[in-house]
Amino acid sequence: MTLNLKTSSVETREQRLGTIIGWDGTATQLADESAFSRGDCGGCGGKARRICELEGPFTQGSVCSEQMVECQAGNIRDAVLIQHSPIGCGAGQVIYNSIYRNGLAMRGLPVQNIRFISTNLRERDMVYGGADKLAFAIKAAVERHAPKAVFIATSCASGIIGDDVESVARAAEAEFGIPIIPLHCEGFKSKHWSTGFDATQHGILRQIVRKNPEKRQDDLINVINLWGTDVFTPMLGELGLRVNYVVDMATVEQLAQMSEARATVSFCYTLGTYLATALEQEFGVQQIKAPQPYAFAGTDAWLRELARVTGREQQAEDYIAREHARVKPLIAELRPKLKGLKGYVATGSAYSHGLIGVLREIGVEVDGSLVFHHDPVYDSEDPRQDSLGHLVETYGDVKHFTVGNRQQYQFYNLLQRVKPDFIIIRHNGLAPLAARLGIPAIPLGDEHHALGYQGMVNLGESILAALQHRKFHQDIAKRVSLPYKQSWLAEPDPFALSRGATA
Amino acid sequence: MAILALKSRPTEISPDADKSGPIELVRYVCAIGAMQSAAAIPRVVPITHCGPGCADKQYMNLAFYNGFQGSGYGGGPVVPSTNASQREVIFGGADRLRELIESTQLVLDADLFVVLTGCIPDLVGDDVGSVVRDFQKKGVPIVYAETGGFRGNNFTGHEAVTRAIIEQYVGPWDGVREQGLVNVWSLLPYQNTFWRGDLEEIKRLLEGIGLKVNVLFGPDSAGLSEWRDIPHAQFNLVLSPWLGLSTATLLEERVHQPFLHIPVVPIGARQSSEFLRQVAEFAGLPSERVEAFIKSEETRYYNYIDGFTDFYSEYWWGLPAKFAVVGDSAYNLALTKFLVTQLGLIPAKQIVTEDPPVEHRDAIRAEFRNIDHDVSVEIDFIEDSYQIHQSIRNADFGHKPPIIFGTTWERDLVKEMKGSLVEVGFPASYEVVLSRSYVGYRGALSLLERIYSTVVSHSA
Repeated sequence: MTLNLKTSSVETREQRLGTIIGWDGTATQLADESAFSRGDCGGCGGKARRICELEGPFTQGSVCSEQMVECQAGNIRDAVLIQHSPIGCGAGQVIYNSIYRNGLAMRGLPVQNIRFISTNLRERDMVYGGADKLAFAIKAAVERHAPKAVFIATSCASGIIGDDVESVARAAEAEFGIPIIPLHCEGFKSKHWSTGFDATQHGILRQIVRKNPEKRQDDLINVINLWGTDVFTPMLGELGLRVNYVVDMATVEQLAQMSEARATVSFCYTLGTYLATALEQEFGVQQIKAPQPYAFAGTDAWLRELARVTGREQQAEDYIAREHARVKPLIAELRPKLKGLKGYVATGSAYSHGLIGVLREIGVEVDGSLVFHHDPVYDSEDPRQDSLGHLVETYGDVKHFTVGNRQQYQFYNLLQRVKPDFIIIRHNGLAPLAARLGIPAIPLGDEHHALGYQGMVNLGESILAALQHRKFHQDIAKRVSLPYKQSWLAEPDPFALSRGATA
Repeated sequence: MAILALKSRPTEISPDADKSGPIELVRYVCAIGAMQSAAAIPRVVPITHCGPGCADKQYMNLAFYNGFQGSGYGGGPVVPSTNASQREVIFGGADRLRELIESTQLVLDADLFVVLTGCIPDLVGDDVGSVVRDFQKKGVPIVYAETGGFRGNNFTGHEAVTRAIIEQYVGPWDGVREQGLVNVWSLLPYQNTFWRGDLEEIKRLLEGIGLKVNVLFGPDSAGLSEWRDIPHAQFNLVLSPWLGLSTATLLEERVHQPFLHIPVVPIGARQSSEFLRQVAEFAGLPSERVEAFIKSEETRYYNYIDGFTDFYSEYWWGLPAKFAVVGDSAYNLALTKFLVTQLGLIPAKQIVTEDPPVEHRDAIRAEFRNIDHDVSVEIDFIEDSYQIHQSIRNADFGHKPPIIFGTTWERDLVKEMKGSLVEVGFPASYEVVLSRSYVGYRGALSLLERIYSTVVSHSA
C-alpha cells in the first residue's frame, strides 16, 4: 500500500492498518490473526487483515488524536502549535509543558515553556466560523516568537463547524514565508489516539521535510522518539553513525533534513511506522526492518540490520560482542533477585512487545499484558517488523494478551486474572487503580529506559526499587474503596459486557 | 428525587460580546472541566458525553499536573465517557449516551451521576435532557449539565453543575430552616490547587464560632446528604469575589434563602477575625463564643508570627518589597490583601486571569481599590500569558528582585527577572499539594513558610 501524502488529512489507523481497540486472547492467537501471518477471521468484512473486535456498551475516557499532535508538533523547539479549538483542548498545554520541560532537562537542552496558542473558540464562532480567529492567532504566533514553522491542530468543534483551515493556512504561509501546517486530528475521527502521531508526521512530511535534498548525509540516522534520555548517540556512535532525533525537541531544520539521512529507526513501531515508511517511499531513506531493539535477541538483530544497511557490519559485531560481555554478568546478578516475580505490561502496542521480551530475558515471568490498541500490520507491511510475532517466536506465548484503550474497569479483572507483583505502564489512569490493589507501578516516562542492552539492567533495577514501594501500596490498599460495584469486581471476564452486547 | 422542568441552557453560559482573542498558555479550562467539580463531591461520578480525549485532558491538567491532587473517588481520566466518534457526529449520540448510562449502572457504585456534555453533542444537538429525564423517572440518581467547551470555562461549568444538582436532584424545600446551618460556596475545586485544605480551614473557622457547615465539596463534605440539606440552611455564604453568587441567587429565588457575600477569602489573623465577626453578625451568633474562638486563634497565630519577626526584621540578605499576583480573582484578592495588610509589601501588578463575567468586574475592581486605608490597586483582566508576561516585565519593581505569586507559566519569566516565584494557582506543576492550605489563621502560616523558604533558597 502506498501512503498518500497528496491529501491534507492523514488516513486513520483503522483505515490503513485495520487497527483494533478491543480484543482478548493469547498473544499467539493475535499474532496469527494479524496480517503478518495472513490471518483472517473471515466474518468481519472486507479487509483481509481485519480482526474481530470486541465492542461494549460501557466505555471510560480514552485519549484523542489531538493530544498526540500536542505531544509531538507541540514539542518542536522553534515552532509554535496553534490549537484551533475552544479553550478546553488547550488544557493539554499544562501536561505537555511539564513533559517538555522534563524532556529538555534530561537531554541537557535549555528548559523553556512550550509555545501553544489556543484560538479560544466561543459560542459565537460556532455560528459564524472561527477562520478570522485562526488567522489572528497565526499572526500572533509569528510576531511573538518568530517561529520557523507554525502547526495548526484542528479540534472536534472546528471540524464539525467546517472551518476552512487549509485556506487560512495557505494565505498565512504566503504572507509570512514559513510553513504553516494544518494537522487534521479531530478527536472523533479515529477510534485510536495513535492516528494523531500519523497526523503530525503527515504534516511534517508534506510541508517541512526537504523535497529535493541536494546532499545525502550518509552517517545520519533519523531516530523517531519522544523525550527519552539520549541512549542512541553512544550506541550509534559505536557504528560511526550520527543521530537525528525526531519529532520531539527537534528543531525545524532537524525535521527538514530527515530526507537526507541514511536510514530511519524508532524505539516503537506504533510511533514510528508512518514517518519511517513515508521517508523510505518518498526519499529512499531506508527504514530499518528488524525486531525492535529490546533484550538480546531484538537488539542484536536490530543492530545487524542497521549495520547491513549502512555497511558497518564489523563495527556492529565488535560492539555486540563487547556489550554481551559487559551486560551478561550484570544480568546474571539480577536474575536471582528477580526470580519468581511476575510482571504485567500495560503500554502502547509495539512498545509492550519489546518490554515483555526484556522481562523474560531477565527472568521475570509475564503471563499478561494490556496493549492500548493493536495494529495487525505496520505501514511497511514487512514481516521483519512483526514485533508481536518476534515476541512469541523468541520468548513464547503470553497467555492473557488483551487489547483495550485504557479501560480501567477492565484492568481490575485483568489484574485479578494474573495477580502480578508489579506493572509497567505508560499513559495515565491505570497505575492509580493497581496502586489501590497493592500493586506498584513502574511508569516509563523515559521511553528509552528499557532499550538496548543496558535497558535490561535498567529495568531490572527499577523493578527491585518498585518492589520496595509495595509497602506504600499495600498500606493504601487496606484503606480505600474503589468506585466499582462488587458485582463487577467479582466478574471474571473483563469483556463480559462486550460479549453480552455482541451476543 | 424531584423531576423538574429543565432550562435548555444555564443562563451563566451565554455568549458574551466576543472580544476574546487567542490565549497562549491557558489559565483555566473549558466548561466540561467541571466534571472535576462533580467528582469533588464524595461518591459522585461524572458521566461525560464528549470526544475521546476530553475527560483525560480536563483531569490530567486540572487535577494531576496542578498540584498532583489526584482523582478522588469518582473522577480521573477514566470517568465514563461516550468517546464520541464519527458515528455520533453524523447520526447523533443520544442512543449512545443512553447505552452508556445504562451500563454505568452495572459497573459503578455512586450516590449520584452527573452527565456533562462536550462540544460534540452540544453542536450536533443531542437531546441530552430527554435521555437523562428518562432515567430520572426510573429513580436513577442522575442529573445533567450542558458544558460544551465553547460555551464557557470551568468556572461557569462549575456553576452549571451546581445548578443542575440543585434543580434536578435536591428537590423542593419543605419549609424547615435550621438556625446556625450555613452552605458555603467558595473556591473552585481542583482549579484552585489548595482548595481541599482551604475548605477544611474555612469549615474549621465557621464551626469554631458555632455554625454547622455544609461545605459541599471535598474530603470534609459528608457528600450528598449535605446537598439535600441545602434548603434547610439558615443562609448561604458566598466567600469569593463572584463565583457562587449565581448559586446563592438561585437559592434565594427557589427556597427564599438569604445569602451573605464576602468577596475576600481571609488569610491571616486580621482578615480571618474580621471575616468571622461579619459572619457572626449576619447569623446572629452570640458574641462570647465568637470572641473566645477568635482570641484563642489569634493567640496561637501571633505566637508564631512573633517567632517569624526575628527573621523578618533582621535577615541580612534582602527580602522582596514589591510583588505581583497573577491568578484567579479569589486568590488574587485574598493574597493581595494579606501581603499588603499583614506584611506591608507593595503591590506592583495584579492581573486577574479567569475571565470573570463582565457584570462582576466593577465590583472586583472596587475591592482591589480598597485594599487598605493607604493602598489602592488598579487591576488588569488578562487571560493570555504572553500579554501577562509583557505586563509584568513592564511593571515597576524598583531595584530589588520581585516576588511573583503565579503559576508554572511564570517560571521562565521569574528566572529572567531574577526574582522569586510562589506557585499559587492553575497550573502549579512544580507543587505537590495534599492538605496544604493558605487561608485562615493556619493557612497564613503555611503561606509565610512557603514564601520565605523560596526567598531564602536563592543561594541554596
